[in-house]
Amino acid sequence: MLAPALATAMPAIASTQARVDAAASAAQAAAMAPDPAWILAHVARPAPSSTPFVELRDSKLLKAPLRISGEYRHPDASTLVREVRAPYAETTTIRAGEATIERLGKPARRVSLSRFPELAGLQQGFGALLAGDVAALQRHYRLASEGRREAWRLVLTPIDAAVARRVRGIVLHGRGAELRCIETEPAGEGGTQRTLLAGAARDATASAPADAAAIAAACGGAGSGGA
Amino acid sequence: MSAGRRIALALAWLALLALAGAWVGERLQVGGDLRKFMPAPRTPAQKLLIEELGEGPGSRLLLVALSGTDPATLARQSQALRARLAASPLFALAENGGEGPEAIPERLRPYRYLLSDTLDREPFDAAFLRDALQSRVEDLGSPAAALVEPLVASDPTLETLKLAEAWQPPMAPQRMYGVWFDRAGRQALLLAQTRAPGFDPDGQRAALDALQAAFAAVSAGTPARMEATGPGAFSVEVAARTAREAGWIGTVDTLSLVLLLWFAYRSWKAPLLGVLPLASAGLAGLAAVAALFDGVHGITVAFGFTLIGVVQDYPIHLFSHQRAGLAPRDSARALWPTLATGVASTCIAYVTFLVSGVEGLEQLAVFTIAGLASAALATRLLLPPLLDPVPAVDAAESRRLARLWTRIERLPRPRPVPLALFAAAMLAIVAFAPGPTWQGDLSKLAPVPPEAMRRDAQLRAELGAPDVRYVVALQARDVEGALRRAEGLRPVLDALVQRGAIAGYDSAARYLPSAARQRARQAALPDDATLREALARALRDSPFRADAFDAFVADVAAARAAPPLRPCDLAGTPLATAVGGLLLERDGHATALVSLAGLAQPDEVARTVRANGARLLDLKQASESLVVAYRDRVLLALAVAAVLLVATVWIALRSRRRALRVLAPMALAMLLVLALLRGCGVELNLFHLVALILGAGLGLDYALFFEHAGDDRAEQLRTLHAVIVCSLTTLLVFALLALSSIPVLRAIGSTVALGVVANFAFALLLARAAPARPAGRGT
Repeated sequence: MLAPALATAMPAIASTQARVDAAASAAQAAAMAPDPAWILAHVARPAPSSTPFVELRDSKLLKAPLRISGEYRHPDASTLVREVRAPYAETTTIRAGEATIERLGKPARRVSLSRFPELAGLQQGFGALLAGDVAALQRHYRLASEGRREAWRLVLTPIDAAVARRVRGIVLHGRGAELRCIETEPAGEGGTQRTLLAGAARDATASAPADAAAIAAACGGAGSGGA
Repeated sequence: MSAGRRIALALAWLALLALAGAWVGERLQVGGDLRKFMPAPRTPAQKLLIEELGEGPGSRLLLVALSGTDPATLARQSQALRARLAASPLFALAENGGEGPEAIPERLRPYRYLLSDTLDREPFDAAFLRDALQSRVEDLGSPAAALVEPLVASDPTLETLKLAEAWQPPMAPQRMYGVWFDRAGRQALLLAQTRAPGFDPDGQRAALDALQAAFAAVSAGTPARMEATGPGAFSVEVAARTAREAGWIGTVDTLSLVLLLWFAYRSWKAPLLGVLPLASAGLAGLAAVAALFDGVHGITVAFGFTLIGVVQDYPIHLFSHQRAGLAPRDSARALWPTLATGVASTCIAYVTFLVSGVEGLEQLAVFTIAGLASAALATRLLLPPLLDPVPAVDAAESRRLARLWTRIERLPRPRPVPLALFAAAMLAIVAFAPGPTWQGDLSKLAPVPPEAMRRDAQLRAELGAPDVRYVVALQARDVEGALRRAEGLRPVLDALVQRGAIAGYDSAARYLPSAARQRARQAALPDDATLREALARALRDSPFRADAFDAFVADVAAARAAPPLRPCDLAGTPLATAVGGLLLERDGHATALVSLAGLAQPDEVARTVRANGARLLDLKQASESLVVAYRDRVLLALAVAAVLLVATVWIALRSRRRALRVLAPMALAMLLVLALLRGCGVELNLFHLVALILGAGLGLDYALFFEHAGDDRAEQLRTLHAVIVCSLTTLLVFALLALSSIPVLRAIGSTVALGVVANFAFALLLARAAPARPAGRGT
């Protein structure tokens, strides 16, 4: 249930291009895990920027998970746009704690993110991620990094109890300066929700149709693929 | 009696008064309900105002703005503040736009199909359902999935959300971080409705204090600020300002009075003894009103204490007439006929208020008569034994007074013809002074600072809060009829919004349809088999599971069978407050109110709603017309009182010439004050009127005592001394009030201060015994 919101909030930090900083990583030949500050400093992207995404949404009401693809845009520092292109067209604009959802031929709907306590923490985390602000992010999450610079994982564990009741953890997968996937682990029932971004999303689109297993592989495999 | 015992008795009297005062103060119910003070209503607007509303639906609303820190923090504080207010027994309602669908109580959820207008436009057929289901698929893939998913199984058409949206205030401001914000996005906005009526200043103060305390708790450690406006906030602020100003004026007055009395009688006992009759009068007045009526009106207390100010003069006359060799008891006995004439004629005049048929005026009469009579009796019977037998000063021995009196005696006595011309000129000024004679606008009496009014107008526009002046009323035999009529008026109102005549409106029909309409919607709901069939067709080729919407089918069946929801079924829900304020039921008939926001064209709205069988009520005009009716009663009572006063004085003095000498100065003085006020462009109000009555009472006493002094020089000097002290004390008290920034206090102060000067001058000129005339029959 949290994944959609997280997917909405996070990808702004995803790189617009697959900007694998091969020279830098090769020069430093980092065998040990890059620290969160390094990751944040590299994945942070000033507005305007955009990235394709692919995600699966599941619900017990649905026969099969929904596969949604489109583009995340970050037109200015305080705005995030999520444009769904398939299987239907929908544009969501997030600004000042409100999401405005627009669909073809329907009046725009506004939803407040603050109706959900966990989203308050996510919003603050979102701001910190966009700015690459480790200290701000650390106020809301415990950060831990794993892997190498060419295939890293940044694990965010919520500090706020209200958020922790809904989200066990958020794992960001990336290569160098490219954020490729966001995995959200709900605290309660329901499986992990994944959003593929940037190069991972493009790969998934190219190799459609992607099922849950393929998406999971693309997300988890993002790190190893770079080696 | 020894001096020690006398002072001990005086202190005991004072202590007794203090005790009685505390006892009365604790038990006395001072009310602010205008209904008790006003004459019976006649027009429909007056009737609605007095009998049903007591005030407009907007008068209990406080508009709250939080500012001073970042929007996200303000939003959190707004939510916390709303939660606290909602839990407070002092508030009926607190809204900040943060209500989600969870605000709809569980037991009302099946009713969503009867409350929502979807069925008026769309049948629940396969096409409609298919369209709804496709939208729900998209919802599940959207950031709103978390909000929508729990609802979808039982409510695939999302009626719950439609209702939550429809029940938002008619012109809800923009939302940021889930709560209302102003257009600039800098102030979080809330609406709070107090339980206390707008006319209950104590209740409003308690609510505001609770609001402040709640805000202090939720904003601790942040630089956030809170502002609250609205009728309740204003009345509390104005009352506090009036009390503050009256407070310091009272303190200065008391100190100066003590000094003045000490100086006049060279005795520190004079201020102590001098206050006893006035204090006794106030208590006696309150006790009498408490005994004869249920509760005392605030205006009775204010007007009453102004009117009994005249009794402050009684002990002064007694003090000034003290001399060696005359026991205080005998002195009091000698003064009694004059004092009694003044008191009796004034009391008889006030009797006219008793038969005015207005409870407020009856209370005032009882208060004043009881006060005056008890002060006079206290001065005659209780005070003399407490006075020192030999006074520190005998006014008759003062050389300065003697010189002054000699000079006064040389003043020419005005002749009747110039006096008549003077009176005619004053009358002409009163009659022809430009500008309205009476102040129509009640709010000018205790004006709200313009800055606060501006803020209120701003917040009102931002929040789309209802107009406090105008309201549309619809009458019907019962609640169902009123709801139907309110429903019928909605298209008319929507058209008015379209045309820009109003910005928005609120009506009970927005929340609760009439039973008739609910039944029509029930009839439009498909039966179980039809719905299942339509749903099955809609689910064909849908990503949803076939059994995903069993809860929906069950809820529709429940809605089809449910008895229509009536206003009384809403008890305990947030809707009860909204509907209760707009739907009034009294024995035998019901009234539906429509509150209006952003009323741009009152005339257009009045015409349009009248053409549709409703009525636009102007509550301000209604309350002002009630004040006019009240004032007319007062004026009528005063005219009768004047006749009674003349008759009483004439009978008491047993001479037309003496009566004229006593009454002419007072009449001329009041005429002069009126002319001065009107000449300076002052619009008169009830407070001027009450002050004039006090002025007349003072003038009557001055003239009576001057007249009483006759041609005995020592008595003349003592009377001069008494009247000088009387007028100085009164002048001091009321001149300070005249300097106040608050129009009510200024009206009373200026009128009485002018009246004292004019009365003193005319009494000296006209009422003193003429040495040249043997006709003066002083004793």
